[in-house]
Amino acid sequence: MAADLKPPEGRRSKLVPALVLCAPASFAALLALWLSGGIEVDAPWAPSLDLRLHFSLDGLGALYALVATGVGAAVLLYSWSYLPRHLRHQGRSNREQTRFFGLLVLFMAAMVGLATAQDLVLLFVFWDLTAIASYFLIAYDRHEASSRRAALMALLVTGVSAVLLLIGALILYSRYGTFQLPELFERAQPSGAVALAAGLMVLAGLAKSAQVPFHFWLPRAMSAPSPVSAYLHSAAMVAAGVLLIGRVYPLVETSGVLLHGLLVVGAVSVVVGGLLALAQDDMKRVLAYSTFSQYGYVVFMYGLGSAAGAAAAAFYVAAHAIAKSALFLTAGAVTEATGAKRLSELGGLAKSMPLLALSSGVAVATVVALPLTVGFFADELLFKAAVERGPAFAVASTAGAALTFAYLGRFWLVIFTGAKQRAASPVPRLLVLPVAALALVALAAGITPEPLTRLASAAAEASVRAPVETTAAYYLDLRTENLMALATYAGGVALLALSGALQAPLAALARLGVSVGPERLYVWLVKALNGASDRIHQLEVRDLRTRVAAVLVPAGVLVAVALVAAPGGRTYQAGTVQLRDLGLLLMLALTVVAALAATVPRRHLTLVLALGTVGYGLAGVYAFLGAPDVALVAVLVESVVAVLFLGVLALLPAEVLRREAQITTMSSRRWRDPLVAVVSGGVAFALAWGALSLPATARPVSADHVRLAPEAHAKDVVTAILADFRGLDTLVEITVIGVAVAGVTALMRRRDSR
Amino acid sequence: MNTVLTQRVAKLLYAPILVVACAILVKGYADVGDGFAAGVVAALAVVLQWLAAPGDAGRRVAVSWWPVVAFCGLSGAILLAAALAARGTELLTHLPAPGGGVVKVGTAELITAVAFDVTVFALVLGAVLGILGAIATTKEEPE
Repeated sequence: MAADLKPPEGRRSKLVPALVLCAPASFAALLALWLSGGIEVDAPWAPSLDLRLHFSLDGLGALYALVATGVGAAVLLYSWSYLPRHLRHQGRSNREQTRFFGLLVLFMAAMVGLATAQDLVLLFVFWDLTAIASYFLIAYDRHEASSRRAALMALLVTGVSAVLLLIGALILYSRYGTFQLPELFERAQPSGAVALAAGLMVLAGLAKSAQVPFHFWLPRAMSAPSPVSAYLHSAAMVAAGVLLIGRVYPLVETSGVLLHGLLVVGAVSVVVGGLLALAQDDMKRVLAYSTFSQYGYVVFMYGLGSAAGAAAAAFYVAAHAIAKSALFLTAGAVTEATGAKRLSELGGLAKSMPLLALSSGVAVATVVALPLTVGFFADELLFKAAVERGPAFAVASTAGAALTFAYLGRFWLVIFTGAKQRAASPVPRLLVLPVAALALVALAAGITPEPLTRLASAAAEASVRAPVETTAAYYLDLRTENLMALATYAGGVALLALSGALQAPLAALARLGVSVGPERLYVWLVKALNGASDRIHQLEVRDLRTRVAAVLVPAGVLVAVALVAAPGGRTYQAGTVQLRDLGLLLMLALTVVAALAATVPRRHLTLVLALGTVGYGLAGVYAFLGAPDVALVAVLVESVVAVLFLGVLALLPAEVLRREAQITTMSSRRWRDPLVAVVSGGVAFALAWGALSLPATARPVSADHVRLAPEAHAKDVVTAILADFRGLDTLVEITVIGVAVAGVTALMRRRDSR
Repeated sequence: MNTVLTQRVAKLLYAPILVVACAILVKGYADVGDGFAAGVVAALAVVLQWLAAPGDAGRRVAVSWWPVVAFCGLSGAILLAAALAARGTELLTHLPAPGGGVVKVGTAELITAVAFDVTVFALVLGAVLGILGAIATTKEEPE
């Protein structure tokens, strides 16, 4: 494959090394902060809504932040060597590297923010930030339709579910008046509303962690470059889902239904993911199905509803991230060396790539929980928590682990053993060394698990809000966990031996999932929404009148519904008319007549004059109502608008204006346009009348304005409001005018320069 | 539109309209009107000259630096807000504070709110003339 490479195009930006160094530097800083006792930052954000920039590097935050930055460091290092080759294969410039590394670092920063956020709105913001970064990362090869489709699928599934997270947060806010998690944990009592809010958040988490039935986006997302898959789908994006469940766990555990739901979803995901992984031929897809199966364990462990389960879940996430990212990076290196992506095209690579074979072997051993790897303790903690809950859970855990043993054993054995299928070109060391480094970490933690158990205990403490003691050690006896581990190996070997015979039924199961599974529903929904959107768009853009109607009619209908459905109803008072109101009534009559007259003329100039009369009439109304400032501004604005209209008309060729003036209304629209006008105008009238009929508030702010105007050295209250009391609003408004000026002049100059 | 009569009338009205604009600006804090209204009045005075100018002269006088005036106005407003913020006070709070001594020039009082109003005047004047000037100086595209 290396022989096909063309000379590199473009140069790598000087920013890229700095971006690569971000990850190890962040990891070191976070580790130092964690070892020194953690850190908490709490600053006001929007005090009126009780929103705070509240971050805490507690156990849970530290675990996920360290995993995101630690695995991120290995992935960024790997990408340093992988990406130039990837871009060269596709005939793309090296300059595109900056975008890739920038997005990866953005994702990493969003994950750290998500892990440490203690405010639900802040959590939502970082949640969405990870979705946006992942969209661009999955679609990095944007010239490929499959990448674009996969990115959109991931964005929609995780983005739509993010709305559930926000709704859950709003339910809690409406009940307890805060978005702060520590305060919510203190105040929340078991109730239907809390269970509903927690359930919505759990759903968001399950979608992000690709749990059944939201799992279909994850295998599709494998069209991303290998480092993206390694990072997003082992240590970051899918981890964010279970992080959320761990973060809001004190709310989740108030409902037995939710815990049972987690158990069921987790167990089903373990089985479905495992069976589908065993049937896959594409290397990355095996790992993708494996990932959502593994996260099924984590969800299952949270569903156990115990401190031991929460600690086991936290430990499992860390162990899985280390090993699974190494396996994704292995798949990338193997494809780089051989050009093959399918297991059926591979074999016997152990001799030509010994270090990669050894390192990925350790990674596989970690996921399948062999002794001397950190994975062994991960499964031991799982087995211990499952045994505590009951025999059925113990059996389910063992069966799931045996399935994992089988499909990952097949993955490694097919690639590295047996007869050689393809020659392997040498690959750069940086494509292998990060895998070796991750394998070393897995081994080190397998020999000395204390740092990781300490972190997992702290993470579980943040979830269950009570002290948790987690121990991991090798016991050479026949305790239940050891027997379960032995059963796992035996079952795994048996399944591995049977995997050949199982291929046909499992492939049929996969096809069945595609034809009647949730992905089918997703595709149907997207197509239906797209079709509806196209139809509305076509209707809207047909002509100018339809475009105006498309705004007025829905707005009118919505306001009408609100007027009818408003609790307590509305009063409509006519008030009394006195002789002194004669001038006001005459001006109103003039305005009405001018508005009706504006519907008659065909010539544009007459139309401008009629509309101008409406505007001047309204200015007169303001004057009679005792608002001379508003009247003056209305007159001036009307004058400017009239001049603007005349200027635009002067630009249009006279022939075009004559032709347009002769167009008659189509018979089909003879009644439609008046109807639209009557509906929208009638609703606006009812709304204004209803609003004006409302009794004045007990203490209107205008009274304060009048009282404070002399203190602001002003005799004109309106000017004092605009330039002083509400000066900041005015500043924002004039900024908008400034932007409009810049836009118009730029457009006109661009047009003239063509 | 650009007859001799309109040209003479427009010229005669130019200075009085600008004086009215200045009066609205200066008296805005004591009477009807403010920087926005003053800016529109001044802009209309200039537009009147453009409309009355003979032949293509109107287009020629619609010079391109009016957007710069708008930009200066906006920059002035932002700088004023920044200067007040740098003092540690609320954004666009008025100085001198209530009860403080104020320097007066005729009826005009030199306070930050009036300075802000002057920046609004410049922005509105520049914006109206910039947009109208951009339209007026646009070349017709051949059909």
